[in-house]
Amino acid sequence: MTLKTWSKSAVAGLALMALTGTAWADGMMRYATVGEPPSLDQHVVTSDLATTIAHHMFEGLYTFNAANAPVGLLASGETISDDGKVITISLREGVKFHNGQDMTSADVVASLERWGEHGSRGGLLFGNVASVEATGDHEVTITLNEPFGPWKNLMAFINGGPAIYPASVMEAAGKEPIAPENYIGTGPYKFSEWQPNRHVELVRFDEYASPDGAADGYAGERKADFDTLRFIPVPDVGTRVSGLKAGDYDYAESIPGDLFADLDADAGVTTILNGGPIFGLVFMNSKDGPLQENFALRRAIQTAIDKTPALQVAIGPEGLWRANGSFLPDGNVWYTDSGAENFSMGNAEKAKSMAEEAGYTGDPIKFMVSTNYPFHYDTAIVYTKQLAQAGFNIDLQVYDWATLIEKRAQPDQWDLFFTHHGFVPDPILISVMNDNYPGWWTTEEKAELKAKFTASSDPAERQAIWADIQALIYEQVPTMKTGDVYTYNIASPDLKGLGEATLIWPHFWNVSK
Amino acid sequence: MLVYTIKRLLALIPTLLAASILVFLFIHLIPGDPASILLGDTATPEDVAALTREMGLDQPIWKQYLLWLSNVLQGDLGTSVFFREPVLSVIGDGAETSILLATMTMFWIVLFGIPIGILSATKHGTWVDQMTSGGAMLFASVPTFWLGLYLILIFSVGLGWFPSSGFPSVSDDGGLANLRYLILPSLTLAAPNAALIIRLVRASMLDVSREDHVRTARAKGLHPAKVAIKHVFRNALIAVAAAFGFTFAALVSEAVVTETVFSLPGIGRLVVQSILRRDYPVIQGVILVIVVLYMIINLLVDLAYARLDPRVSLK
Repeated sequence: MTLKTWSKSAVAGLALMALTGTAWADGMMRYATVGEPPSLDQHVVTSDLATTIAHHMFEGLYTFNAANAPVGLLASGETISDDGKVITISLREGVKFHNGQDMTSADVVASLERWGEHGSRGGLLFGNVASVEATGDHEVTITLNEPFGPWKNLMAFINGGPAIYPASVMEAAGKEPIAPENYIGTGPYKFSEWQPNRHVELVRFDEYASPDGAADGYAGERKADFDTLRFIPVPDVGTRVSGLKAGDYDYAESIPGDLFADLDADAGVTTILNGGPIFGLVFMNSKDGPLQENFALRRAIQTAIDKTPALQVAIGPEGLWRANGSFLPDGNVWYTDSGAENFSMGNAEKAKSMAEEAGYTGDPIKFMVSTNYPFHYDTAIVYTKQLAQAGFNIDLQVYDWATLIEKRAQPDQWDLFFTHHGFVPDPILISVMNDNYPGWWTTEEKAELKAKFTASSDPAERQAIWADIQALIYEQVPTMKTGDVYTYNIASPDLKGLGEATLIWPHFWNVSK
Repeated sequence: MLVYTIKRLLALIPTLLAASILVFLFIHLIPGDPASILLGDTATPEDVAALTREMGLDQPIWKQYLLWLSNVLQGDLGTSVFFREPVLSVIGDGAETSILLATMTMFWIVLFGIPIGILSATKHGTWVDQMTSGGAMLFASVPTFWLGLYLILIFSVGLGWFPSSGFPSVSDDGGLANLRYLILPSLTLAAPNAALIIRLVRASMLDVSREDHVRTARAKGLHPAKVAIKHVFRNALIAVAAAFGFTFAALVSEAVVTETVFSLPGIGRLVVQSILRRDYPVIQGVILVIVVLYMIINLLVDLAYARLDPRVSLK
């Protein structure tokens, strides 16, 4: 073959390949994700990406409506004894698992027990559970040692929450996430395949039994219009944006703030704000080091920092962040400005004198941050500069995320570390409320307020106690909130039914194109 | 040659053993563990310790290594902590993409690199040489992520000719037509590598063209094209063959940036992601495969030398 004929063949081959592309049917929704989830097992994994995929397959007894109130999903109702200790939950009948079995109370009991023993958030409730019993084919009774106000919110939060799996899957399940062949739930989509580094694919579950009522947040009717949902890892943000514009994806997540203005003005792209903001947290070490019990020194650090410049640098456009001192956002039932006057003072002189009074002599303060999340690093750089201006000797230690989470478990390795927190519907789920979370905030004042907070079932009383807890956080400073960040995703204008904002994780039931 | 090949293949064993010990030690020495990554930010140290125990990662390193080695000797590279799939299957998925990508890239390199290199050498010192050499320098200097993103903007977003990213397996729906997903990434990867081959072909041919046998061929009155191809290029090919071998190996194992920009499920991205996730079995498996690949390509290059240059004897 001569060079000439070879070149001709190559060009012809290219043209053929370009023209014989598979035309994607409207039945497939292609979602460009930032990476791959560690697993889709909702009991043990708290990755938001895992939940974005998994909540199409797995359902809990309860879910949240648009007002973030817990309402029934697999549960049809419940009764609570007068002393608040016995909760009897009735289950919807006719609900089928993806393997064709009917869901019964035996499955619910097995799932709750595994979640209670091994689940990421199960211990919060099950530390107070005396028993879980099947008291009928479609009835489960939970007996508590003490009344526990947030039980329903915990049950409704599917991320690290009590998804209902078949009892046969739960028998052999331990702490290790269940394998993909056991991804059997009751949701409108069922697991199809996971091709490493290529995609996770779900297909419509034709025997799905939808809850009644109009769609309201995650509650109400769930209709699967797509044949297939395909979640494709696209780590490069430029490729996610270009791919959506080129029509290769229908939806793309985690787009940086500096692209917001252009994309929002682009008629070929729909921008969707996430209604539940995430927020950065700088934890302080209560177990070791100079900040261990020195609340005055912690307050000096808090006083030195002005949160707004860091949000401007790390996030960008003003519509995507809010310098809000309340741990839950404005408009939420848990919003409170209690203690929030200390949120962002940015007073270097005052901080310097407070640090001297607290006995600070310029010893290095180890501040760990990861570059895996650019907004962590950018924020930490601004804080380090502000703290230096107030006379603090900050030793900024930059690691990859895996290293940081190992080091933060060792109290002698750090004084401050940066992380972020997803939106949660109940403050009990905020990591600082967990005594075992690195930082190890376990003061008597906290224990007393936390006990009252969990024992109460009266919403107004719980809100008032939460305001006291937030004030205590600003006084003892186990962590510093860095402000609310409203992430956003982009979608093809062809997608119908997305709404203007997602609640926490986007969902694609009741969505079509 | 057969004895030589067998000897070289046997030499693989101690090299692989040494590489496996080094890789095992290094990845276990860096901080971080898969249990923490799997369980996420809200996991307590107790949760992490419990999962570490379940996965057998609380055992002494030497014990973990011996267990892994005995499994490898039985053909079992273990199970990915992250994907919960056999490592061989995970590597197999990545290898399909990487080998096809490297092959298509080599096709462009040969298609553009060799003819332009020959042209540049035969037109040495003219404006054609200056244009091709300048162009080669330009493509060798352009960062692949930049070139890749511009190719996506022009040919995917603008013209809509090629998909912007991803690569469905050729065994999936679409079959061989799925190779169109690799056209832009392979062109991106080929640009700097073809530029280097152009420079290498040109330099090697210029070296050879000054030798006595070439002068003799010209003095005999042979056609200049015959001299260039049969006497100059043939002898210049020895240096180029080595470069081809190692370029292919590097394309399989090191195309991380291009694989990331085009979201290709290749070996390079797999190894980087596995390091970030501390997916020990996959890291060990991939490195082992890459070491084998380099050694086999090294052997093939040596065998090719003997074919190209009869003076080279293999003992």
